[in-house]
Amino acid sequence: MTAEKSRFVVSVLAFDRIGLIQAITSAIADRGGDIDGMSQTVIRGYFTVIITAKFDNNYEKEEIRDAILQNFPPREASVVVRDYEENSRHPSGQTERYIMTLTGKDRPGILKMVSTYLAESNINIEDYYFTIQGEEVTHIGELSIPIDIDIKQLIGELHTLVSSIGLVAALQHENLFRAANDIFSIRQLFKERSCEK
Amino acid sequence: MRKIDDILNTVRMLEEGNLDVRTVTMGVNIDSCAHPDAAKASVAVYKKIHSLAKELVPLCDRLTTKYGLPIVNKRLAVSPVSRLLEGHSEADAMQIAFALDRAAADVKVDLIGGYTALVQRGVTEGEALLIRSLPQVLSRTQRLCASVNVAATAAGINVDAIRLVSATMLKIAEATKENNGFGCAKLVVFANIPENNPFMAGAYLGAGEASSVINVGVSGPGVVKRAVETLVKEHPDVTLDEIAEVVKHTAFRVTRTGELIGREVAAKLGVNFGVVDLSLAPTPKVGDSVGEIYQAMGIAKIGAPGSTAAVAMLNDAVKKGGIFASSSVGGLSGAFLPVMEDHALAGAVKAGYLTMEKLEAMTAVCSVGLDMIALPGDIGADALSGIIMDEMAIGVFTGKTTAVRLIPVPGKKVGDYVDFGGLFGAACITNVACPDGNQEFIAHGGHIPAPINSLKN
Repeated sequence: MTAEKSRFVVSVLAFDRIGLIQAITSAIADRGGDIDGMSQTVIRGYFTVIITAKFDNNYEKEEIRDAILQNFPPREASVVVRDYEENSRHPSGQTERYIMTLTGKDRPGILKMVSTYLAESNINIEDYYFTIQGEEVTHIGELSIPIDIDIKQLIGELHTLVSSIGLVAALQHENLFRAANDIFSIRQLFKERSCEK
Repeated sequence: MRKIDDILNTVRMLEEGNLDVRTVTMGVNIDSCAHPDAAKASVAVYKKIHSLAKELVPLCDRLTTKYGLPIVNKRLAVSPVSRLLEGHSEADAMQIAFALDRAAADVKVDLIGGYTALVQRGVTEGEALLIRSLPQVLSRTQRLCASVNVAATAAGINVDAIRLVSATMLKIAEATKENNGFGCAKLVVFANIPENNPFMAGAYLGAGEASSVINVGVSGPGVVKRAVETLVKEHPDVTLDEIAEVVKHTAFRVTRTGELIGREVAAKLGVNFGVVDLSLAPTPKVGDSVGEIYQAMGIAKIGAPGSTAAVAMLNDAVKKGGIFASSSVGGLSGAFLPVMEDHALAGAVKAGYLTMEKLEAMTAVCSVGLDMIALPGDIGADALSGIIMDEMAIGVFTGKTTAVRLIPVPGKKVGDYVDFGGLFGAACITNVACPDGNQEFIAHGGHIPAPINSLKN
């Protein structure tokens, strides 16, 4: 019987520079870690990465954290290592993916207002980002919406909610963005009748 | 995570470019409704249409919500009604026409096409009856649209049928004179009629089609215009091929959205998906005009020299983008020049920049035809026949679809203004530069033989 491997989730935050991924992943690899998931982003000069990895040996999460920190000058990086647990709190049930866009004049509080409404509506935000040009901001949220939600009503409520802070909302199924921008056969999206009955 | 630019471009196409799906048209084969008893045929027609199409409009409305994309028109196209009229009377024709009209109203579509006769080689009794019934049918129904195919590259031009149709057009105008001859706006005369055109008034379900099918007319003159305008503004020294490229890319996106809607409607209704028609179809609304695209390209006065080249370039670029976007392209897929339905074209006609002769030349490179043009009420049948023959000749001898939808407006003359309202729009009356001098030619009648290029075997 093989020893159960330890599995961790690693999150790192640091000011972006050359060599960050090397510092983190070499610490993991040198301890026998096998990285099986990773996503990295740089926002306004700050680097953040989330990594999942399996380890052959019985390392504790504190040891992995220390190993990563050793590859950095003091106080450069914030490192968090947690035990990987099968996520039982992920929303279950069938959902459809929609893209929400909010446009208008930027101001504090937009995210709080919108994310509160979405959470209360049982809608998970899969991805969220925004871009600012001058005073104008555009928020984009990729949402998983349960199929039993009335989309028309949702759009109406969202529109009313954000217009109270001077923003305009749009909500469209992701198929539209895929169709208009990606090259693939649209018929794949739908089951088709193959012949006349 | 999707690229921000992709998302913003798509959202802007809708909000700033007025992107929509111009029509979702359901074809319904009604051949099985034929019956010697017109009352039974009428009931069968109504039931068949109602049972197959009753979910069309609600489904389209749900998709409009899902995608934030207006589906402007939901329409029906039936198999040629002339086939149901064989052995019947004019009263029977009227009864069946009413049943079609009522079925369309009850499923809440705005137009139903297919009151059609295919007479490129000869006219059957049912077809002659259909043509004879047109003044009554088009004046007394609301939603029914008619078409007559008088020519084909494979068949030549049936001049006798053209003479019959032009005389009938004058009768239709007279029968609808209270409404400025509006009945003629519901009749299209074709060469090489497409079997799967989703646009009205010429839509019908062709013989080669399945028993029900969804065809889609995309739109986006506004989207294309916005793309061209933005390009020219940011790069005033842009060349025509670069403009063509941006039109092509835009047409790709527009066609893809149309196919998405069409396939989803077809899948959810359990019927075949047919084609996406790439035609840029304007409405009279400012910002939704094909004429504005030519203006954005630099033709300030539509009809000026260069206009034909501009139309050719636009039409070709749209087709290239569209054919890459979808493998199921069909219908007309040309560039519409509907004078009354496009405020910029109507304005050019009014100002005298855009003449019938120039329009005819433009149809040679974009097909579709002389569309929604208001003519003087006293135009002669021979002039009408000649105009139709010329447009049919362009289609037949180039192997394209061409058509005419002309409206002689009773009591009005060149320069007078006529307004049909809504999608049918408004324009000034125009005429050909030389409306007579052809009588003997027309009087010969008969048939112009099929061109040599039809013998391909």
